[in-house]
Amino acid sequence: MSTYVYGIARRAHRSLPDGMEGIGDPPRPVRIVAEGELAAIVSEAPEGLRPKRSDLLAHQRVLSEAGAAGPVLPMRFGSIAPDDEAVRHVLQERAGHYVERLRTLEGKVEYNVKAVHNEEAVLHRVMAENPEIRAMTESNRKAGGGSYEDRLRLGEMVVAALQTREAADAVELQHTLEPVADAVSVGPESTGWVANVSFLVNQDSAEQFLAAVEEVRKSHPYLELRVNGPLPPYSFVEPGPSEPAEATASASAE
Amino acid sequence: MTVVPAAQTGGGGGTSGLYDVLELVLDRGLVIDAFVRVSLVGIEILKIDVRVVVASVDTYLRFAEACNRLDLEAGKKARPGLPEMVGEITESGARQKTKGALSGAAQTVQDAIGSVREKAEQAAADGARARRPEGTRRAKAEEKREEEQE
Repeated sequence: MSTYVYGIARRAHRSLPDGMEGIGDPPRPVRIVAEGELAAIVSEAPEGLRPKRSDLLAHQRVLSEAGAAGPVLPMRFGSIAPDDEAVRHVLQERAGHYVERLRTLEGKVEYNVKAVHNEEAVLHRVMAENPEIRAMTESNRKAGGGSYEDRLRLGEMVVAALQTREAADAVELQHTLEPVADAVSVGPESTGWVANVSFLVNQDSAEQFLAAVEEVRKSHPYLELRVNGPLPPYSFVEPGPSEPAEATASASAE
Repeated sequence: MTVVPAAQTGGGGGTSGLYDVLELVLDRGLVIDAFVRVSLVGIEILKIDVRVVVASVDTYLRFAEACNRLDLEAGKKARPGLPEMVGEITESGARQKTKGALSGAAQTVQDAIGSVREKAEQAAADGARARRPEGTRRAKAEEKREEEQE
């Protein structure tokens, strides 16, 4: 029976989520596989596992629970070992590295910050910053919207100004929050965000970090910020580059 | 000002933050080469279109129209930068925008997951009901032919 791995913690971790409900339907109970100083949080791997919503949630829930009581190295979703023995082998073989990572990440959590522009508010801002755009908007309006060329020209200028703002806001956001974080990781590129950045934050300075986020909200009222955290340090477990999804084999292939 | 509160993802497992966190669960985290990883075919949909505002004729026209509709007087009075005024203006719009962006992302994920699941189900059903979809298709084709004859 193959073994699904959620994360790696110290054996001395105060509260490993032993017995908690894990992935699968019915949920497979979470177990601990210990080796030396380390412990892997695992469960049985359901056959034909796919990235279903309920399983992603379960993966995240188990890690959040474990992370609340001490440092955990979260695995990327869908990591499956042939059996418990293989997990033990990995823990033994790379013990030094994992112990070092756990020490580095002790007391630290990830906060993911995403920003989008509020369209109406950012357009007001663009108008205020660019008298030319404002003048053209007014003249187009007087001309009942303007000719096709007029509208195209105005739109082009607005889009250029918005793109400049997007880039500037992403940089400003990062620069404002960087000083209150231990490390920064630009998040996976995904649809529709002006910025998507993860910050590694010391649990003790979480309040300061959130206060800095509030500052950005106040100074950039046209920016919508979504903060998610505290999270297990997904973006900070490995300094090296991550494997692309295509390179990984299918789980059902055993 | 609409302030989206920090989603407390710790333990609660609320779904509101799930889609924000999902990409981290799928794209970040420790990878151990000795372990096999579940195939994420179909999930790549998440990673497209980095810029929000894309330069194209359609976007130009859309923003020209947006400027045309914009309440310039409100903007002038508000003097962007003064939070309380802009806050008032954006209150309702902001909520809509956020919702739209989020449910959009959620949709993408659901689509991705849905298509993966469909494939799996289809594969499972292949043995027993292999004939059925074909039959349906044929029936439709016949219907069409009949229509054409009429």
